[in-house]
Formats: sequence, C-alpha cells, structure tokens
Amino acid sequence: MEAVINDYISRELVQDSALLPLEDDTSLLETGVLDSLSLLRLVVFVQERFGIMVDDIDLVPEHFDSVDSICAYLRTRAAETAGQAGSHG
Amino acid sequence: MGEAAPGAADPPPGRRPGRAGWPGAAAIGQMLFRAEILAFWVAVAPLLSLLPASLAYRLACWRGDLTFRYWAGKRAEVVRGLRQVLGEELSPQEAERVARDLFRIRTCEVIDLMRLRNGARSLRKLVEIRGREHLDAALAGGKGAIICSAHFGSYVCAFSLLHASGFPVTTIGRWWWNYTPGETPAVKRFWDFIYARRVLRYRQRPNIEPWPGRVQVALQAAAVLRGNEVVTICSDAPPLESDLTRTITVPFLGHQARLLPGIVDLARVTGAPVLLAFAHRTADYRHQVLEISPPVPMHSETTAVFGQCAAAMDAAIRAHPAEWDFWFEPTDLARLGLLEGSLRPLVRPDYRMERTTELEHLS
Repeated sequence: MEAVINDYISRELVQDSALLPLEDDTSLLETGVLDSLSLLRLVVFVQERFGIMVDDIDLVPEHFDSVDSICAYLRTRAAETAGQAGSHG
Repeated sequence: MGEAAPGAADPPPGRRPGRAGWPGAAAIGQMLFRAEILAFWVAVAPLLSLLPASLAYRLACWRGDLTFRYWAGKRAEVVRGLRQVLGEELSPQEAERVARDLFRIRTCEVIDLMRLRNGARSLRKLVEIRGREHLDAALAGGKGAIICSAHFGSYVCAFSLLHASGFPVTTIGRWWWNYTPGETPAVKRFWDFIYARRVLRYRQRPNIEPWPGRVQVALQAAAVLRGNEVVTICSDAPPLESDLTRTITVPFLGHQARLLPGIVDLARVTGAPVLLAFAHRTADYRHQVLEISPPVPMHSETTAVFGQCAAAMDAAIRAHPAEWDFWFEPTDLARLGLLEGSLRPLVRPDYRMERTTELEHLS
C-alpha cells in the first residue's frame, strides 16, 4: 500500500522535484504537496484503487500528513469496514 | 482585513476643510457615522424591508446618495480605482456616476438581505431567474452542479434565493468577521445574528470556509456534489498568500489577474458541470435579473476553461460596473493585480471572501 500511494503522490501531486524521491514519513502538508484539491484527488484515487471510503468525519490533517499516516488510517478504516461487514453478516 | 482601520483613510463624514481645527470634530463625526450605520442595519433596514418595494428601494437609494456624499474619502477611492482599472473606458463623469450607483446598490443589497424571510417570497417577487433550466438539466446528470459567480451584485442573496427556489445550495466562502484579527466575540456574534443568520436560513448547510490548513474543503464540496446538490463560489477573490503558487494568470478587466482555478479542478474530479451565474439590478434598483448560463465546456486545459469563467466575470462587470464589490476596496484591486505596479497580489492571510460592507467600520 505504501508503495502504491507513494508512487501516486510522487507522480501526480508533487510539484517540487526536490522532494523526490518522496520519503514515506515526509510531511505532505508542511511541504505543500497536499492542498485541498490535491487531497480530493488523493481520496478519489484511494477509493478507486483500494475500495476504501473515507468518512467526512475522518477528514483531518493528521490522517493525511504523510504516506505512513495515510496508510495507517486506511488500514484502520479497512479493518473497521471489515468488522462492520462481519457483524452485519 | 482588506481595508484600512476604521476612519484611518477617511475624514469623518461631514468634516470639511474649514472645520478641521475644531477639537473633537473628527471623533464626533466618526461616532455619528458609526451610529448611523448601526441604526441602519439594526432598525432602519428591517423596517424599510417591510415597506412596498418601490418605496423601500427608493429610500435605500436616498441613503446611498447620502453615504456617497458624506463618505468623501471612500468615494474618491472608488472613482480612482474605476479610472485606474478601466482607464479611458470611463470618463470622470461616468466614474462618478458609477461610484454613486455603487453606493446606492450596496444599500439596496441590505434591503435584499432583510427581505430574506418567509420563504424569501418578498425578494423572489423582485428577482427574475433566467436559465434555471440549465441548472435543472445539470442536476439531472446526478453529479451536482458548481455555480461560478463573482463578488458582483447581490450575490449572497442570489445564492439564498436559488435555495429558496428549490435548489439545495451550499456556498464555499468565508465570513469576513471570522478572519479579522482582533475582532471581538461581540462583533462576531453581531454579524452572525444580523447577517449570517438571515442568509443561512436559505442554504442547505453552513458555508464551507476555506483557510490555510483546511485541507478538507474540496472534499466537503465534493461530498455536497455527490449528494447532487449545488455548490456556489465566487471565483474573483484574490488568492491568499499560501495559495499564490496555485494561481493562474488570466485576462481580466484589461489586465492580467492572478486567480485560483479551483472550480475547474473540482469539476474535473467530481464530474460536476460548471455554470456561471450573475445577478444585476435593473434601472429601478428594486428588480433584479439572475442569469444562469449553460455549462462551461470543459474539454480544454484548466487555464483555458477557467479563462472562460474569467471572461464571463469580466463581461458582467463591464456591463454593470457598479455591481462589483471590489471597487469599494482598492486593496482588493491591488491584490488582484489590477492596479499599476501591483501585479503580484500581496494577500494577507486575513483576507475575506464574503462581501464587505460599511458595517465593518463598526468593528
């Protein structure tokens, strides 16, 4: 997951080539890689690529500050979704 | 805030050169000025809005004329800005006339706001909406619709009117009082009560307020569009300092302005069509026309697509120059790059997007 997201961000969202190769713990907000619209593109990508829906309530900077934090959030979200599906099933 | 501190650049109303030596005249003039503004918003305008429209807007124009006459510093700023930006398109006499109209219209817009009650029926009777079939068709696509407008005409009320007409409207925009450094809680509560409360009665949800660090704004807008609702935004706002790298340069009012093409990106990601909407007042000052365009073609690159939006804003402003808010704020004109020697918009982070009014001088 880290590699896929890092690759997408590096290809599509990083404008400053000095940030490449992008480290997984680089702050995407402090470096200006992520702004409002690029975050939207990232979330759309995540939803399409991994099938994980991001709740509006989860749209906080902490979840999207780095590749590591994005993946940590997505894993948590995936586990929650699986748990809900299991309890309903 | 995008303007000088209260009274910093303006002589107090009624102060004339021959009286300048009178101790306390300036303070008294300023106090009376603020008292008039407060009384107008709190008491006079609500009462005027209950009168027959022809009388209410005539009295509003009269009050606008008084403001135009006595707020000499602001009047001079407006005329200077008009002449600097539009150049020879306006003679000095025409610039004066446009400035007077601007003062009238700003007062009329307060009456519009006060008429946002009881389903906004009393305002709806005065506003003809043209092109609503374009908005209906856009929503039939199921991906919502983005309405691109400008700080032009009675746009705040126009958005609310659209909502009252059956379209679920949410606006991307900041309430200025929330972002003015040093603003007291009392002033914020006042504005929330006198202004935002009326507007938000006719909105689907509170404004989505962009600000540095609020990275969720586009996602919130996308969520609104996913619900097949309408998102409105004014695309003529000068960019914040933090957004300068994301601006593009487009022809605008005979200059090269740096604006944010965010609506185009939002439209591309969500698939929502972009429509243009501008409201202007007719010659009697009480009736308005809100014109909604067909969707903007999105086939070309971002700069070209947004250029169409900028061209539409440009055309609306040139057709009805007195309707554009930013004549009132020379700092905004400078930030947009419309004044000579100010191509780089020096935007302070406390810039606001929603309409300014003279009421800011109360704060």
